Amino acid sequence: MRRYTYLWLMQLVTGVLIAVLLGIHMVMQHLEDILRFFGVNLNDPASWNSMIERSRQVIWAGIYIALLAVVLYHALNGLRNVILELTPSARTERVVTWAILAFGIIIFVWASYVPIALLSR
Amino acid sequence: MDTQKTEQITFRVRRYDPEKGSNPHFQEFTVPSSRGLTVLDGLIYIKENLDSTIAFRTSCRMAICGSCGMLINNYPHLACHTQIEEFHSNRLTIKPLPNFPIIKDLVVDLIPFFEIHKSVKPYMLRNDSNEMENPTAEFGQSHQTLESFLQFTYCIKCGICVSACPTSASDKLFHGPQALAQCYRYCADNRDAGELERFPVVGTDHGVWHCHLAGACSESCPKGVDPALAIQLLKRRVMSRTLGLGKKEPPASTVRPSAQAKPKLPFPEFTVKQG
Repeated sequence: MRRYTYLWLMQLVTGVLIAVLLGIHMVMQHLEDILRFFGVNLNDPASWNSMIERSRQVIWAGIYIALLAVVLYHALNGLRNVILELTPSARTERVVTWAILAFGIIIFVWASYVPIALLSR
Repeated sequence: MDTQKTEQITFRVRRYDPEKGSNPHFQEFTVPSSRGLTVLDGLIYIKENLDSTIAFRTSCRMAICGSCGMLINNYPHLACHTQIEEFHSNRLTIKPLPNFPIIKDLVVDLIPFFEIHKSVKPYMLRNDSNEMENPTAEFGQSHQTLESFLQFTYCIKCGICVSACPTSASDKLFHGPQALAQCYRYCADNRDAGELERFPVVGTDHGVWHCHLAGACSESCPKGVDPALAIQLLKRRVMSRTLGLGKKEPPASTVRPSAQAKPKLPFPEFTVKQG
């Protein structure tokens, strides 16, 4: 029972975190005019030089790795729920859970390599 | 007094008899209808006058027994609680409740539904078996506590919420809104101490965590119960117990009647079975 309860709780928590982290990304990358209205000037954040400059900061690498983790959890746990709803059985649950867990770890390691590599340049 | 206008209503009833091996098909009947006639009255007219082989469940004819749930014009209703003129149409399509196996025509198999209902232990669970077996006084309960779960006690187990639930349609192991709402009804009762026995049953992938909050159960309930609310409250309760949040009250103890309270009337003789 505890496992299912925590899975559901994490789905809620990651949903909130996605709203926060994706909100930071959207505001910094695509809502520059609004930030400028409030007196914050980012000097063309979508340009190559700005991107390279940000990638050297640990805080930005952390934000993107955290965003990757929460999006992966939220999406893959949702996908697991959909699959288990359509094919309910104990065996399917075991296979689907392990397959999705393995897939999530591979994608996380692979995709988090990019910000880590940029950070160490 | 105005004269009652009689209309001819076409009942398009889905017929299916698995024992005869025929495919499901629709059969049409013409029923004379007047103001106040319910869909169940129409079906009884068909059975008595047109085709005695048509099968449907009915008992109380006053929306209490929960027997006559069926899909009328693609929406689940109690046939006895639904007047023909509500539809403003002279053609009604009547099908058995979805999400249940069909026994014959409009009769569905409710045994799996009742088995799930039983699995959540819908009765008082307490540790003081002596008091339960030989009660000495009433268990104390405030009006506020009663109000917190009263609406969920109005469930008549008709299965309409389960037939309307999209999760029950896709997940055959899902407990369904009826059982989950009844689980909350007993857990919220301050006389009960059975949370630890019920939560492992409902706190699974096919239990309370699988409700998508579509709300179809609450919209369709003929008794005005809100099972979707009960499920959300149950989620909060299971989560609180798992995380150890909130104060867990001990089950209510017995309360002696006050000196001013009127003594209970004795049971009339005719209600007491003489050994």
